Amino acid sequence: MMTQGHTPRMNLLPRIATAPLAAPVQRWFAALGLLLSSCGGLPSLPFLKPSPADTVIYALPPRSGNSPLNATLTPACPALVFDQDAIQLASTHEQDIRRVATECSARPKRRLLIAGYSRPDLPPGHARALSDRRSHAVRQRLIELGMEAADVQTVGFGNDFAPTAPSSDVVVIYQHD
Amino acid sequence: MTARTPLLLLLLALSPCATAHAGVWGTLRSWIGLGERVQTTPQKRAMPRIRISAFTGGTGGSAAQVLRKELLDSREFFVAGADEKGDFSVEGYSVGGRVDAKLLDAKGRKLFQRSYAAPGLDENLKAFADDVIYTITGRPGLATSRIVFVSDKTGRKQIYVCDSEGGEVHQVTHDRHGAVSPSIAPDSSMVAFTSYRSGFPAIRLLDLNAGWERGITDTSGSSFGSAFSPDGTHLAAVMSFIGNPEIFVSDLNSNTAMCVSDTIGAPSNPSWSPDGKHLVFANDDGDGPRLYIAEVPESEGVAAKLYRWRTGYHFCADPEWSPDGHHIAFTTRRSGEWAVAIKPYPSGSVRILQSSGAQHPSWSPNGRFMTYVQHGDLYVHDLRSGGRRQLLRGFGRISEPRWMR
Repeated sequence: MMTQGHTPRMNLLPRIATAPLAAPVQRWFAALGLLLSSCGGLPSLPFLKPSPADTVIYALPPRSGNSPLNATLTPACPALVFDQDAIQLASTHEQDIRRVATECSARPKRRLLIAGYSRPDLPPGHARALSDRRSHAVRQRLIELGMEAADVQTVGFGNDFAPTAPSSDVVVIYQHD
Repeated sequence: MTARTPLLLLLLALSPCATAHAGVWGTLRSWIGLGERVQTTPQKRAMPRIRISAFTGGTGGSAAQVLRKELLDSREFFVAGADEKGDFSVEGYSVGGRVDAKLLDAKGRKLFQRSYAAPGLDENLKAFADDVIYTITGRPGLATSRIVFVSDKTGRKQIYVCDSEGGEVHQVTHDRHGAVSPSIAPDSSMVAFTSYRSGFPAIRLLDLNAGWERGITDTSGSSFGSAFSPDGTHLAAVMSFIGNPEIFVSDLNSNTAMCVSDTIGAPSNPSWSPDGKHLVFANDDGDGPRLYIAEVPESEGVAAKLYRWRTGYHFCADPEWSPDGHHIAFTTRRSGEWAVAIKPYPSGSVRILQSSGAQHPSWSPNGRFMTYVQHGDLYVHDLRSGGRRQLLRGFGRISEPRWMR
């Protein structure tokens, strides 16, 4: 069993040093923040969202249940199609993911396996990494929508099983009942 | 300083012909405090001439013939005839496939003498040829080196091993759902790979000599892209059990692991520098994979460094450090097609070695050749002559070749 040792935290992006702001400027920003917070109907601004580096990451639960390789699993929703090279969720995925989260909240014992696949022309190592990253993005969104982190597992198959498995840039949410 | 400025400008103007006037240039550089330039142009050396003296014993004749072929194939020597003079000479005897041989210098002094008692004559002479090459050139020979790769020949992806000539192909995994992403230990005794035996990707270690196999990762999520450290004691790999795919370095003796990356993307294909202090890997933040260098901490609690290594290309995958540490080869995309590229480390111009669909480069142990796949076939490219040859063709669809380091 692998144990995790030292985990250095580094950031790929350089941090920008900030000087203390003058009091009038601080008051101006506070007023702007108050104004924005009162506009509940407005779409949230992208730069006000927490950066991915600040997102809380939940460790995966111990493996349980079958893999789509050795059992027939039922997809919980249509496969989520990703654009080439995209690793983040698109707005088109939101409806399906919300529906899965809602269904799972009604059935607390339901566990999910999120499996990523990628197109066959990619280098195999990159294809695995890309499909794994996408499956984690879907898991993270499901957790944000209220699912228990312990009920959602991920796996990235890349293009290792093309053409018998999905052979495009998709993530499939399988349900374990 | 003011008096030196015009002279400095003159020196800059002279810089294109600096090589031709290295003496003047060095003197002037020294005078303005820059130090003398060290001439780095390698001296071209003539290939040593090696003579194969008569091999005695029952299988001595065959041994001399096989050894001659191995030394010729190595392209490291001129092989002299038995009556010609040489810089070195080899002699010995062979009975029943066993070989006792020694290497002598031009003055007849013994450089080494060894016995080789493996089951086959060819195997023994390959080992002797590699010892001769290493003793004379200081570089490892390729006669006993192995290439590990993935093929879907049986309908499922499995791992195979072949020699550097594409011969002696053996299937080493027979996993139910397949096995991928192999890496071979520096002494070619073990192969680390990702197995789908349980239905999920997990890294396993297979001892090629003893036949035993054990799991390295028993963690949830995915584990793939394993790479042996140069001393064979550590394994770098991508693991995602923490809820995020990251590059981990695991100690094969203590079964502990430490994370050496902190990405928000999709890291893949770590490869070690020859000194074992750095890793190069690809990471995709959503706009195509780029290359990053991570410093491997020597002990826990030491802050690691991580930085982007720019190549000028938007898609860089499958990086591998050259055995001398002076270059990194990688897969890139050029005009919509995959290509194998080489860039000097830490800086220099990218050279496209092979385009038209070539992928996943891997250096030979002596750094003179490179293997890669192109349209499912396995190739070896001579980096000095530029010539290339097909090692394996029609052996299913080959991918992820890795040459023993």
